[in-house]
Amino acid sequence: MITKPTTDALIEDCCRELMEGILPGLTDETLKLRLVMTETVLRNAAVRAAHEIAWMREETTALLAYARRVAARHGSAPLRAALADAGAGPSDSLHLADVAECYERAGRAFAAALAAAQEAGAADLVARAREVLRDRIATEKEVMATYAVVGR
Amino acid sequence: MDALGSRFERFLTAVEPDRAGRVIACEAITGGYSRISARARVRWRDGAEDTFILRGDPPPGSGVFTSDRDAEWDLLAALPGATSVSTPVARWYDHSGEYLGSKAIVMDCAAAVSLQDEMARAARVDTGAGPLTDLFVDIFAAVHQTPLDRLPARMPRPPDGPAYLDGVLAGYDRMAGEYPSCAPVLRYVSWWARAHQPPPVPLGLVHGDCQPSNVLVGPSGPPLVIDWEFAHIGDPREDLGYYTQIPLEPNVYWTDPERFLGRYRAATGLTEEQVNPRVVDYFLIIGMAALLEQLLVAAAAIGGAERPGILASYLINAISHQHDMFLAICDRLN
Repeated sequence: MITKPTTDALIEDCCRELMEGILPGLTDETLKLRLVMTETVLRNAAVRAAHEIAWMREETTALLAYARRVAARHGSAPLRAALADAGAGPSDSLHLADVAECYERAGRAFAAALAAAQEAGAADLVARAREVLRDRIATEKEVMATYAVVGR
Repeated sequence: MDALGSRFERFLTAVEPDRAGRVIACEAITGGYSRISARARVRWRDGAEDTFILRGDPPPGSGVFTSDRDAEWDLLAALPGATSVSTPVARWYDHSGEYLGSKAIVMDCAAAVSLQDEMARAARVDTGAGPLTDLFVDIFAAVHQTPLDRLPARMPRPPDGPAYLDGVLAGYDRMAGEYPSCAPVLRYVSWWARAHQPPPVPLGLVHGDCQPSNVLVGPSGPPLVIDWEFAHIGDPREDLGYYTQIPLEPNVYWTDPERFLGRYRAATGLTEEQVNPRVVDYFLIIGMAALLEQLLVAAAAIGGAERPGILASYLINAISHQHDMFLAICDRLN
């Protein structure tokens, strides 16, 4: 493979082309809006391309660690099943679809663990779940890149 | 004249066969996220001219936000007899899309500007938006007090406020099951929201897109409330919570929340326990549920046979934004 430029750099170059080379030539307001949205999506994709496998792998580890910690204290059938399902995922693969699959399975295990912690009234475990989610939101915000909330 | 203009002219021939309406201008209105809107100028045989707004569904499989045009038409027909709040006159409805290409409502185009623009102008010239804020609050307080028995029978009616909230929160659990990448956040939020339900209020008519941009004000006549596509019977505080996240400046709730809510309580008779900044914060979670589900549906469709369009990809960011808002609310109100 040709390693340089990296995927994110290629996408960012496309963004520049759209905004500097194509947008100024457009007169149709609807097309302009669609192009600006497309550029934002590409910027999001550039951030993801650079980091998403690492981010999902790291968070998968955190989600499953939480689920196992809850299972040790408040194991429930749904939680055990969700952990078993997560363990059966293609965890050795670094292909994006496999990493995403493992991440989703870990998310389901986390949700089952959170439900078990909530039902047990385990405030410390619920608080720990909030910490895990704080990290998730930080990542999602990084992906949002230049997105600005606009009115409907 | 574009294709829509030609189609509209054929539609006019069908609904007003004796007036020989000719479409002399027709232009798309950009900026909306949901419906396809156009403004059309019509000259009738007697020389009179009228301007109409055409509001139709996007082509099937495209777009992000979906709503029921039949239900919107029924509601627009019922509102004049149900509430003191005025709406633009709804003239005709292409209920099959036979003429206009998709189900489309045709309304009078008011000679008016949005209340949001007026608020922005008032802020620029430093006259303050106080009276405009009061107008906005009073309008939506009136919407919320619409007698429910005068609304179309087809509108779903929850048994009571708590049952309605339970239904919304169950919806979040369902979304968590269907969209696993959102499950951790949604499970956390729905559990938290169940444990922190505010005191109930009577069910009311919820506009569903409560913001000053959906109020038109002109030099004469009453303010007109538009964009009823997401209206439903629910907890009226949803509209207040929803408005808090509208990013258009000025957001007159955030200018002075206590004043805003004091006015609302006075207009509705609700108590401070029922309506206060913490309760409004809570109802952002409730008021965004339907839109979040539509965002998730659209995101899941990306890459599939029915492309939902670039808006769906763009609004994945809005899902992340909502996650962030919801968790921040849980933290603030804990």
